[in-house]
Amino acid sequence: MIELKGIEKIYIRGAEHVRALNGIDLSIGQGEFVSITGHSGSGKTTLLHILGCLDKPTKGAMSLSGITINGMPESGLVKIRRQKIGFVFQQFYLIPGLSVLENVALPLLFGRTKKATDEIKSLLKLVGLQDKIDRKPSELSGGEMQRVAIARALINNPEVILADEPTGNLDTENSENIFLLLKSLNSRGITIIMVTHNTDLAGRADRIIRLKDGKIQ
Amino acid sequence: MTFVSLAFKNLLRHKTRSLLTLAGIAASIAVLFSIISFNRGFEKGLSRELERTGIHFMVVPAGCPHEVAALVLHGAVTPQFLDLHIMDKLKNNDNISIASPILVTQMPNPERHRIDLIYGMDMSHIMALKPFWEIKGSIPSGNNEIIIGYEVAKHDNIKIGDIISYSSTGGGTAVSKSFKVAGIINRTGGQDDAFIYMPIKAVQEMLQKPEGATAVGVKVSDVMRMTEVVDELSQSIPGIQIVTMGQVMDSIANLARSAKVLSLSVAVIAILISAVSVMNSILMAIFERTQEIGMMRAIGASRFDTFRIIIKETIVLTASGGIAGIIIANIGATAIEGFVKGFMPYVPSGKLITFEPSLAIACIMFSIVLGVLAGVYPAWKASKITPIEAIKG
Ligand SMILES: Nc1ncnc2c1ncn2[C@@H]1O[C@H](COP(=O)(O)OP(=O)(O)OP(=O)(O)O)[C@@H](O)[C@H]1O
Ligand SMILES: [Mg+2]
Repeated sequence: MIELKGIEKIYIRGAEHVRALNGIDLSIGQGEFVSITGHSGSGKTTLLHILGCLDKPTKGAMSLSGITINGMPESGLVKIRRQKIGFVFQQFYLIPGLSVLENVALPLLFGRTKKATDEIKSLLKLVGLQDKIDRKPSELSGGEMQRVAIARALINNPEVILADEPTGNLDTENSENIFLLLKSLNSRGITIIMVTHNTDLAGRADRIIRLKDGKIQ
Repeated sequence: MTFVSLAFKNLLRHKTRSLLTLAGIAASIAVLFSIISFNRGFEKGLSRELERTGIHFMVVPAGCPHEVAALVLHGAVTPQFLDLHIMDKLKNNDNISIASPILVTQMPNPERHRIDLIYGMDMSHIMALKPFWEIKGSIPSGNNEIIIGYEVAKHDNIKIGDIISYSSTGGGTAVSKSFKVAGIINRTGGQDDAFIYMPIKAVQEMLQKPEGATAVGVKVSDVMRMTEVVDELSQSIPGIQIVTMGQVMDSIANLARSAKVLSLSVAVIAILISAVSVMNSILMAIFERTQEIGMMRAIGASRFDTFRIIIKETIVLTASGGIAGIIIANIGATAIEGFVKGFMPYVPSGKLITFEPSLAIACIMFSIVLGVLAGVYPAWKASKITPIEAIKG
């Protein structure tokens, strides 16, 4: 489903060139649950951003469900992000002024699509938040906030969910629950790619990708 | 959810900041709306007043045209008097239907230790000279009756039927005379409120100038022949000047123009300041929300979407400010009118500010345009935020 060939990413910081990714060849199949691990600075987030069409590689080729991504203009990348990808972040990034329901519905605004409230509610039921629809993010626990973020990632029926340390701000119990939620989504056919420092959770994925100095070990 | 409702909710996240910014816009739009309303009312009031005047032109001693304008509309004390023979010539002209002398002067009021402004006129021509007056009581019928302006009556608590005495040394020997107040003129809002109106014969008597006049108001029998009459009079009578109502109006409009320019520049400056504060407040919001905007880009917002979110916020802010400003301007219309009148060289009588829906809509449109202008730079900045620099993982 996702193919990477010879991906290189070089950040230029003043006179210094940082080689964040150095020749990544990777193929991820439809419906796989992949975890990405590695030390801090090994390039995990950089790789995830490239997989999510947020950043362009300096070198290399990429395709996503048969579409060639490299060389695509920004407007095309926006469409791919909107239709095929769901993002989940460590800091949740919910909008404080909006209710749970509105936060989940936010991507619809950008896609200029409409969804019945019932459909959004059933999505919230899927993540276990059917009772908290009208709450504000400030009235939720960390685990609940991450569930809202996952529901938001699911709203456009993505093919793949990219999660950058989704359990990084959560305690063991909530981490476990979020992981189980991702697992259940995976069992419905959604491809999951999760960056994590948690070796236990990483080990329970279908496949572990270990990064070191921008290379797959 | 729509972009506009998202904008509303974002603005509500910082209620105090948004409210203060909105107050600035509201105040400046209120000023703009009031000034334009007043100016329009001023022009309308002026032409209304002149249209209703039954006088086509004024004959005055040659002099400054501004002085003449002041004289025609509200009376001014000028040092010159018209030549005594002029009245005869005017009265004998077949094309003239009314020639009404006016004598404006000052007279001491010994009982109240003051000098009053006296406007001597032919009381039978009162409706031609001051058609917009509403008089309580009656028009003086004899030479010992007067009518007084609203402010004079209010200030000294004068009632109809009161007796007022004046003395004059104008002719060399002192002359005193008592007058009965026959009527009080309803408030005009203009300078007419400050005068005492006396039958011209009584004024002439007291000044010991039997045919004295500072001006003569003339009504021609055929308006089509007015130019002809004016030319004829100017050539046959030396030392006079003829001022038509059109010239008076131009002259007043000229005087009012500088006040208009000044007041509008104040409004424009206020608007600029409030627009800058809108821009500042939105830039602050963008700075605080960089991560959030980056996140939106990651979950499918295009550059244009982020641009739209921000520009809608400024538009919602300025449009609500504009609406609030118009409400404020209407609530405070009377106070604003009184305040602005104080700066004007001449104000027509009556209420000048009236609510014009088309002007209100134009002002709201203008505040929307202001929102677009103040929002373009912040929105452009927001559209430049890339997801990767905002989101660190
Ligand atoms: N915008 C940037 N400009 C310059 N260098 C960057 C930038 N982003 C990342 N880097 C560098 O690229 C390398 C890889 O960073 P990346 O964020 O992918 O690491 P990571 O594996 O996600 O680390 P962590 O576990 O701490 O999140 C690091 O050396 C980092 O300093
Ligand atoms: Mg990272």
